[in-house]
Amino acid sequence: MSVNKIDATKWVDKYSDYLFNYTIVRVNDREVANDLISETFLAGLKSMKNFKGEATERTWLISILKRKIIDHYRKINSKKGKAEVKINYSEEGNEGDWLEEQAPDRFDKTAEDLMENEELGLAILDCMENLTEKQAKIFKMKTIDGFDTETICNEFNITPSNLWVIIHRARVTLAECLEKNWF
Amino acid sequence: MSKKKSLFVDCSEAANCCDKAQYKEASFFEKLKIRLHFALCGPCKKYSTKNTKLTNLIEKSDIKTCTEAEKKQWKEKIEKEISN
Repeated sequence: MSVNKIDATKWVDKYSDYLFNYTIVRVNDREVANDLISETFLAGLKSMKNFKGEATERTWLISILKRKIIDHYRKINSKKGKAEVKINYSEEGNEGDWLEEQAPDRFDKTAEDLMENEELGLAILDCMENLTEKQAKIFKMKTIDGFDTETICNEFNITPSNLWVIIHRARVTLAECLEKNWF
Repeated sequence: MSKKKSLFVDCSEAANCCDKAQYKEASFFEKLKIRLHFALCGPCKKYSTKNTKLTNLIEKSDIKTCTEAEKKQWKEKIEKEISN
């Protein structure tokens, strides 16, 4: 048991970005995603003793989260009527009676593209777990949140050349990891 | 960092400029330097290709991060639950 000891205080720093990206594409609402993740963490704490260590901690948390997301779908669908798809065929004579023909294309993306992008995002976050905590934090701030060099340097009390060394190492690690796991 | 005003740079400086270029922070002179270096140095050219690919992938993936406030709120909830 001691080998698989869970440290729940580390969950947020280690997994919240991964859980968040997993959730947001499924519920498409930041607040709902937040709540679902809260519930997941709390449910995780309660069932910690059931964690057998067969999966990684993150996989286990995702399995809890999945159930929370399904519950959420059920809840919104049980509000009667909302779950029904109301089909209004076009009034008359318009070309293309079917809904599909009337719906505008969602940008230029197909469902496959969106799905692939989601998987890609999770694959990248997965690879980020190979970075040290500091590397990951700085890399995310710089690359994803787009903070400028000066702000990050001030926050972490490092010089710009320190920053670029950290970024460089992170990029090399990530590129290698993605090459193995994505292409 | 004192930089020699030479167009010929070593691999580590080229890599550094290449990283900066990924964030659009490379100066014109730096971009010129890496172009020249890549023309002469195969491995660095390869690194640059990989590096650009990584940038494109991250852009395409549309990863979102949680805000510090969101993280704090989760942490507080977890700590409260543990102490109960």
